[in-house]
Amino acid sequence: MDLPAEEEQPLYSQRPEWADVVPLEQYESVAPLAPIFYTDEYRDATNYFRGIVKSGEMSPRVLELTENIIRQNPGHYSAWQYRYKTLMALKSPLDDELQLMDELAIKHLKTYQVWHHRRLLVQQTRNPGPELEFIANSLQVDTKNYHTWSYRQWILAYFNDDALWSHELDFVESMLESDVRNNSAWHHRFFVVFQSGVRNGDEDRDAVVRRELAFVKERIAIAPNNASAWNYLRGMLDHAKIPYCELQAFVLPYSLPQPPLGTPPEVVDLESPLPSKNSQLPCVAAVEFMADIHEAAGGDDLVTATELWKSLANEHDTIRKRYWEYRITESLKTKSAGDG
Amino acid sequence: MLPTSLPPLSKGGHATHCKRCLSGLPSSQVDIDPAKLALSFYCLGSLDVSGELEKKTRDWEREQWKEWIWSQQTSGHYGTGFRASSYMTAKHSVRIGPQEHSVHDSPQIIMTYTALLSLAILRDNFSRLDRKGLLKFLRSCQNTDGSFSSEPLGGDSDLRTTFCAFAISTMLDDWSGMDVASALQFICSCRTYEGGYGQSPFGEALGSGTTYCALAALRLATKQLDPLDRQKTIRWLVQNQAPNGGFRGRTNKDADACYCFWCGASLHVLDAGDLVDKAEMASFLAFCQFKFGGIAKIPGEHPDPYHTYLSLAAVALLPPDSSEGTSWALCPLDPLLNATYQTSSWARAHIPAPKVDDDALGDAGI
Repeated sequence: MDLPAEEEQPLYSQRPEWADVVPLEQYESVAPLAPIFYTDEYRDATNYFRGIVKSGEMSPRVLELTENIIRQNPGHYSAWQYRYKTLMALKSPLDDELQLMDELAIKHLKTYQVWHHRRLLVQQTRNPGPELEFIANSLQVDTKNYHTWSYRQWILAYFNDDALWSHELDFVESMLESDVRNNSAWHHRFFVVFQSGVRNGDEDRDAVVRRELAFVKERIAIAPNNASAWNYLRGMLDHAKIPYCELQAFVLPYSLPQPPLGTPPEVVDLESPLPSKNSQLPCVAAVEFMADIHEAAGGDDLVTATELWKSLANEHDTIRKRYWEYRITESLKTKSAGDG
Repeated sequence: MLPTSLPPLSKGGHATHCKRCLSGLPSSQVDIDPAKLALSFYCLGSLDVSGELEKKTRDWEREQWKEWIWSQQTSGHYGTGFRASSYMTAKHSVRIGPQEHSVHDSPQIIMTYTALLSLAILRDNFSRLDRKGLLKFLRSCQNTDGSFSSEPLGGDSDLRTTFCAFAISTMLDDWSGMDVASALQFICSCRTYEGGYGQSPFGEALGSGTTYCALAALRLATKQLDPLDRQKTIRWLVQNQAPNGGFRGRTNKDADACYCFWCGASLHVLDAGDLVDKAEMASFLAFCQFKFGGIAKIPGEHPDPYHTYLSLAAVALLPPDSSEGTSWALCPLDPLLNATYQTSSWARAHIPAPKVDDDALGDAGI
């Protein structure tokens, strides 16, 4: 496809086909704050755009003009807004527009307007299917882009069609396969498994929780020092109201110093996969988790919890020294309140 | 380990960077146009929090800036607010006083919040503020789910716009511009399993402003998190302090100067600011300083007013030990409105509608 070579286009003020539009210069009072030194091309295009907005014209050339401005300034809110209105007024083929957006979205992944415009278009076409593939492709460019993930969540929840949801777990798994520390993917998994993605037939929540536990344990075994996986584990336990102590057998080996080299695991336990070789142990998140278990148990266990917090404060996680000391103080407060 | 002292905070250099941006921006910054008032706020806020405003600017400059900001106050069917800049305003279409705006030149809620604070930094008397119109504008921006759109006819609606509505209502000392209950419900619906808040319901927990916006808004409405939720949120925020001392915006991402404010201020709002390792945070920010002034998001990058202001604000709120020298001492900051206490008191004193009866009573009392 031949793309218009914008650089070579003459200014709108020199194009005879625009001679009937009265360009309107930008108003500025005497001393604007942070004036921007516009390029001639930008000043020219926006002069004509203000003229068009004033006259209310909605025509194919408006689409060309707004595209030109958007390419120079993808954050130009009004150009996007007016472009959308014009597309609607002209009943323009929206698939063409989406194709143009495919290109602009990848170029300007962090511009809010790009995604907002896309939402408006897809609400019109009501054809969300191809969007999931488009999103998957743009996530290859930027795997943690907030707008892109939000857009995926919106597509799924807005159209809420079983067919759309059907491959979501596979998708998340492939994203985590390539980067097990991608928090956006973990978050998306929570969204799919515990929030909007819950489908008819998923009613056996116990089975779902068992599946998720196995999944997250396996990922922790691969990379124990991964806050995203531990946060997911905590999140799902809280959600399912499962006490942390049920995970004690699994978590304990992660909270201990490195086992001596050559020590084979005594029993291979599928419920409690062991840390992979060469893992850096003890794992801070596991020590924290064990301390939480002991704190919840109360009584003499508080001594153990305090020892664990101390080891975090003074040795394993010193940047959060104040936090771990605060945990010790708080637990003592709770204890004395309980004793009283 | 021996304590190593911090490099100085070069307040003068950062003020110069911001002053320079206020005087003009290169064409490559054209995307600032739809958020110009926010940029102005970051520049003015940097000058204010570092105590450099009077030193670096002249009376006539500050008067002109006030005029420019007031020229962004526009009125229409949906009420009155401030637009980002005059980038969609045509010459010769301007009348004196609050202008009638077209659909494509309408006020925006985040810009309105930053305009009010900027005017307070400049110690304006707010005699030109259309307070009734502003309340009407807030009402037109609120959606049925309690969230706020950035402008009456649409635009983004997320926790940032919600926070701005709460801050504007606080500054006006008038909450009749919104349905508080549904707005609070919207905030709760953005909470995530990690303990932070996403930009909108079901979004990933994000330190970039949204968690701060949620917590500050709740506090402005004098609401407390329940103790378990508070613990979880504190845990997540503290976990975001990276080994290099800076804060991350999301789990497992890299530290960035702006999150030192967003996460640090969030902790402060929860009365847990002391859990931050302030010395390590200051050390990270010290290395984000650009040698010719301004603060960048990470060491070695180019600075901008957004990261400059938020870094300074983070230091003002959570300063390192005073033994680090006076360069690190900044003006104390109000974490809820995000301005120095002097500015926020000015805003709270001058933005509400004058109460004639109360004044009379007050005089009698004195």
